[in-house]
Amino acid sequence: MDGMIRILRRYVAGAILLSVLLLLFNFILLGTLVFKEFRRQPSPEGVVREVAERLTREGGRYALGDEAARLLRRHRAWAMLLGEDGGVKWGERLPDDVPRTYRLTDVAKFSRYYLAEYPVYIWEHADGLVVVGFPKNSYGKYQFNWDADWVRSVPWRLLALLLLNAAVALLLSVLMGLRLVRSIRPLVTGVHKLAREEPVRLDTRGLLGDVAGSINTASAILQEKNAALKARDEARSNWIAGISHDIRTPLSMILGYASELEESPELPEEQRRQAGIIRRQGEKLRSLVRDLNLVSMLEYDMQPLHLERVRLPSLARQAAADMLNGGLDERYAIELRLADEEALINGDKKLLLRAIGNLLQNSVNHNPEGCRIAIETYLSEDRTRCCLAVRDDGRGVPREQLAELTELPYASKRKKPPRNGHGLGLPMVARIAKAHHGRLLLDSPDGGGLTAAMEFPAEGA
Amino acid sequence: MDNVKDRKILIVDDEPEIRAMVERFLRREGFYRIHTAGDCASALSLCRSVRPDMAILDVMLPDGDVFSLLSAIRQFSDMPVLLLTARGEDEDRLLGLGLGADDYMVKPFLPRELVLRLTAILKRVYSSPAEKRLAAFRLGDVLVDLDSAVVRGPRGEQALTAKEHALLAKLHQERNRIVTSDALCQAVWGDDSYGYKNTLMVHIRRIREKIEPDPSNPVHLLTVRGLGYKLLVKETG
Repeated sequence: MDGMIRILRRYVAGAILLSVLLLLFNFILLGTLVFKEFRRQPSPEGVVREVAERLTREGGRYALGDEAARLLRRHRAWAMLLGEDGGVKWGERLPDDVPRTYRLTDVAKFSRYYLAEYPVYIWEHADGLVVVGFPKNSYGKYQFNWDADWVRSVPWRLLALLLLNAAVALLLSVLMGLRLVRSIRPLVTGVHKLAREEPVRLDTRGLLGDVAGSINTASAILQEKNAALKARDEARSNWIAGISHDIRTPLSMILGYASELEESPELPEEQRRQAGIIRRQGEKLRSLVRDLNLVSMLEYDMQPLHLERVRLPSLARQAAADMLNGGLDERYAIELRLADEEALINGDKKLLLRAIGNLLQNSVNHNPEGCRIAIETYLSEDRTRCCLAVRDDGRGVPREQLAELTELPYASKRKKPPRNGHGLGLPMVARIAKAHHGRLLLDSPDGGGLTAAMEFPAEGA
Repeated sequence: MDNVKDRKILIVDDEPEIRAMVERFLRREGFYRIHTAGDCASALSLCRSVRPDMAILDVMLPDGDVFSLLSAIRQFSDMPVLLLTARGEDEDRLLGLGLGADDYMVKPFLPRELVLRLTAILKRVYSSPAEKRLAAFRLGDVLVDLDSAVVRGPRGEQALTAKEHALLAKLHQERNRIVTSDALCQAVWGDDSYGYKNTLMVHIRRIREKIEPDPSNPVHLLTVRGLGYKLLVKETG
């Protein structure tokens, strides 16, 4: 919506600027194109003045200067001098249809309009009135009369005219802008929806119909691809779930009978030991199937989360206690450094415990000669993220291998096969962190040891 | 019928080999009144005819899932039910449907685990009121009787307060295992907020004064630094 208002504002500003520029341009054109002849020299008044000034009296006769005579010829004009009695005292190129005597009313008439259809102009002379006539239809003479009040109000009227023009320009531009915005708005919302991967169905009529059509097509393609992706993810996840299911039943039998043989007093020691091996390997397979299923559900976003407010330190203690209750060998020591008791996150307790357990088990598995394991919980400095880190002082991992530890085993990004266990432990932790909108950070400082830190968005207390 | 081994057990699973294996384990443990079924229909008719005391049901059956079977059974029987599943289903989905399944196990399982769960359920549901009494256990020369909430020892009989009783019950339930202070607070105050930590320490000290020969050097109720507490109980069988 913000974008639409911006478009409208730009549009109106542009329209106003355009009309101001057009106005200026018109003024300039008025001067250069329309009223160009106004400035042509000499004007009729100039001619008559020149004639009056050059008309001199020598003895009893009047004589016109050569230059003024040429001027008259060039304009194909004629001239005469009227005396005080209304008679023509002198004439130059005087046509025949012009009277030779005039009364006061005649003078008053032709001084304002025409003399026998000749446009005439007059100038005062020492001996009377100089009249210059131009060819018929060469000039138009108009009489303007204005009320003095009206003349005084002209500037204000002009200002009002300008303001009204500006108002109309503004109104028109707003109306047109709104129309434009109205036709663009569905497109904009459509594109926004497209970005959120929501289905879009726009009206393809109107000015921007072809754009709307393209947006519709893009949306349809996107929906189709998403549906196909989802179907494929579901198929994969279901496939793994199905295989897990099919493995579980025969594995039940293997585990069941192996453990029966292991406990059977009739069997010799050696056979019972071997049955024990079958049982333990069966249990390994069981944990693999369980982990595989969970990782696949997490990978394809199909694992339901039971979210509640969880205190990370409480989880850390529980995980450590579980580890110790499970009979941790004396070569390993667990230490807790729980800085902030109120490190709250929104999480699935069971999954998070599983993740911490995996990290602890990972440290144990990779350091058969023993190590010290520290569990740390802390809030980030800006208190927006909660972290739980499992730190050991064991053998560590070469830096270049750290990144691929969170990839699934046998994934194309993972070059080395997992060293210990089935290699699903850390990928599972990374996916559990991701399902909680967090992440898993691995670090192996040069001094050895591995630090695995899970970082989650903090839940406001 | 005081012995759980005399109870009638119904096993429903579509895999005949699983049925045979579970039946075999139960027989070895001393159960002898065992009935088996491979689908919902025969399971339901067996339930009506032999009236089993407990059922072990596989979640997926060829003629429908276990939930419709269970609601049909619930029309006429309240017997306890242990579910078996071969999918990694959600615990909440399995137990939270209001159908009254008592417990569930994910395949593959060890026979010992199955028998333990089964007998635990049978004991809880069918034992006489006398057997339902809370445990009494011995710590050195002190006898803790949770049922009457007293401690009897060389220092005479001392009563346990409600909180001390709840703490000891939780610690005894998880005996010989570390119980985190959070879990203890949850058990006693219904809240695992860390604010109870000091109160918890006070209660633990009072319990030690009642059960330990030397409360400052405990030998039964141990502190596991930074984690919680552990009650050492010698199993007397």
